[in-house]
Amino acid sequence: MSQTSQEDQIADVLIIGAGASGAAVAWKLSEAGFNVVCLEQGRWVRPENYVTGDADWELRALTDWSFDPNVRQRPEDYPVNGANTPITPLMFNAVGGSTIHWTAHTPRFHPSDFRVKSLDDVAADWPLTYFDLEPFYDLNDEMMGCSGISGDPANPTRSPRQMPPLGLGEDGKKLVAGFEKLGWHWWPSDSYVNSVPYGEGRGACNYCGPNGLGCKVKAKGSTDVTYWPHAIENGVALRTRCRVTRVTVDEDGKATGADYLDRNGRLRHQAAKSVVLAANGIGTPRLMLMSKSDAHPEGLANSSGLVGKNLMFHPYAVVMGLFPESLESWKGPQGNIFMSQEFYETDQSKDFVRGYSYQIVRSSGPAWHARGGFDGPVPWGENHHDAFANRFGKAIGIAVIGEDLPEEHNTVSLDEQLVDGSDLPAPKIDYTLSTNSRRLLDDGIANAQKVLKAAGAIDVSVNPLLKAGGWHLMGTARMGTNPAESVVNEWGQAHDIDNVFIVDGSVLITGGAVNPTPTIQALALRTADYIVRERSELKSEPTQVVSE
Amino acid sequence: MSPVEGGRLTDADRTTLSTVLDRLIPAVDDLPGAGKMGLAREIETRARRNRRLRSSLTAVMDALSLDLSAHAAGGFNALDTDAQIEALEIVESSIPDQFAPFLQLVYTIYYMQDAVLKRVGWTTGAVQPAGFDVEPFDETILANARQREPFWRKTE
Repeated sequence: MSQTSQEDQIADVLIIGAGASGAAVAWKLSEAGFNVVCLEQGRWVRPENYVTGDADWELRALTDWSFDPNVRQRPEDYPVNGANTPITPLMFNAVGGSTIHWTAHTPRFHPSDFRVKSLDDVAADWPLTYFDLEPFYDLNDEMMGCSGISGDPANPTRSPRQMPPLGLGEDGKKLVAGFEKLGWHWWPSDSYVNSVPYGEGRGACNYCGPNGLGCKVKAKGSTDVTYWPHAIENGVALRTRCRVTRVTVDEDGKATGADYLDRNGRLRHQAAKSVVLAANGIGTPRLMLMSKSDAHPEGLANSSGLVGKNLMFHPYAVVMGLFPESLESWKGPQGNIFMSQEFYETDQSKDFVRGYSYQIVRSSGPAWHARGGFDGPVPWGENHHDAFANRFGKAIGIAVIGEDLPEEHNTVSLDEQLVDGSDLPAPKIDYTLSTNSRRLLDDGIANAQKVLKAAGAIDVSVNPLLKAGGWHLMGTARMGTNPAESVVNEWGQAHDIDNVFIVDGSVLITGGAVNPTPTIQALALRTADYIVRERSELKSEPTQVVSE
Repeated sequence: MSPVEGGRLTDADRTTLSTVLDRLIPAVDDLPGAGKMGLAREIETRARRNRRLRSSLTAVMDALSLDLSAHAAGGFNALDTDAQIEALEIVESSIPDQFAPFLQLVYTIYYMQDAVLKRVGWTTGAVQPAGFDVEPFDETILANARQREPFWRKTE
């Protein structure tokens, strides 16, 4: 095995982004002996430094640990112009990406999600089925570590979960009673949160609550503690604080690597035989639009004009029930109690198509309650203390996760004024909630109110559209068989450039009505599997480059 | 009272902020209001570290300094309690996008105080490393749910 400096090395595969999907691809390709370099603009965020052990953890959630990059404003973040969207895009830039921040609630898409055109005459069918993806879901579960239990009647039978479900807690049991009273579906959530120790050096969840701020005991499956240690052991060169400015191409339009700014702000180039984009549903189209060239005048692989189009979020409504007794509803991971898919599939009697899931969500610490959690703040003034006491530990939320269908006018484009810390154009979001999504959420709200009352809630409040709910960024470089109507093919390979692959949420054709990360990771593993099987010419003799 | 610059308060501003804090979170049981608890300086310090919070603090203090009734009375502190509350309500409704993060900051700093946490029954402090005890999942609760036939939509 020879050793080269990074300046000399031509990577077999250059991955841009070290989050959920980039990590999965890095591991899979390195297992097969590919020489992989990954550039990540964020840093390593060590679990021992997570703020949940600090007295000011609830303040940090509002500031430098906010989910919103515009609030967080770390040097590695880029601003997002969100003035023209009712849903704020959320993300995190670090090794692990937004899996540092997620709650690791990990349901799968349904088979129907891959056939929405055939079944409901909306959007487009996927060029693959749920069952094509199933082995990659299983592999991803194994790598990330899944707590849960098989037998859910709302979904196809799954392989045994790696760990038993997380405890329901008193709040969970209370709400289960409501669903059972109405005869509605509920099932313990699949979660990439360890209910027992699993994985190297990863402990069991100790039910601290706010795992969206990172998990100090590594019980939560963020990719910095799941895929990355294995990928690095395999020899992947992961370079942090490296901000890619453009994907470079040759005169034929094929990718040759990427230009990037290193941690000292020096412009460098990483040569590569192929490039994998894994920078999320906003970061990836931003980079593609920044990578205009003579061969790709509208942006990288954008002959369809669809790069940045069809942005989908999952619009969330949250219905919060207040119960008369304390349920200590801060005990346990905030988003991992159970879910209901009673209303997931299209119901012809309704005035909308497709459907929604319910994700049962906990409250958090005292300041979270005072600030209002998913609802408005506790009133200030003379009534403050009584109002706080009525809410503290007594609130359970039902998040309505609606399927958001693709629409071309919902876009990511480059802002003409706003720039990041490197003077690169910021992404600009233009998004309008559709009538179908609004109707679907309204139905979800009405049914959530019923079930909360059935469970014994004495008061119910509604947030009809969670503004700070743009966790899921999808659809902006979508998959398809027709190059005029899609950006990548069924393997995530760009129609226009056969050595460019996209593996993040950008490629999703539709978004389902569940948290999408397991689906994104499964697709990424499938793309990596394709590269291993079909693109062996990309693989060179083994070399070793040290990670930075 | 003069408009604040750069989130840094004058002594007079700090006195005003303390009064504001007492109106927002009044005394309860044996705890003084948030102002008399001495939280103004911490709020100022924390706000200076974050652009959004600094901007909101500045905006609220500026708005109060421009309040006509406060001007006529010789400043916000010279108003009686009801008038102070009314002035704050006017500020809240006139600059809601700035008042909201300011209120978030005030609440967060208040509910970080040991005496406050003790009063509301939060005995943990930081949630790590202790975490909380939750009973393991008991599969018997699934007895009814397991009876249901699969109902996911079949596809070709």
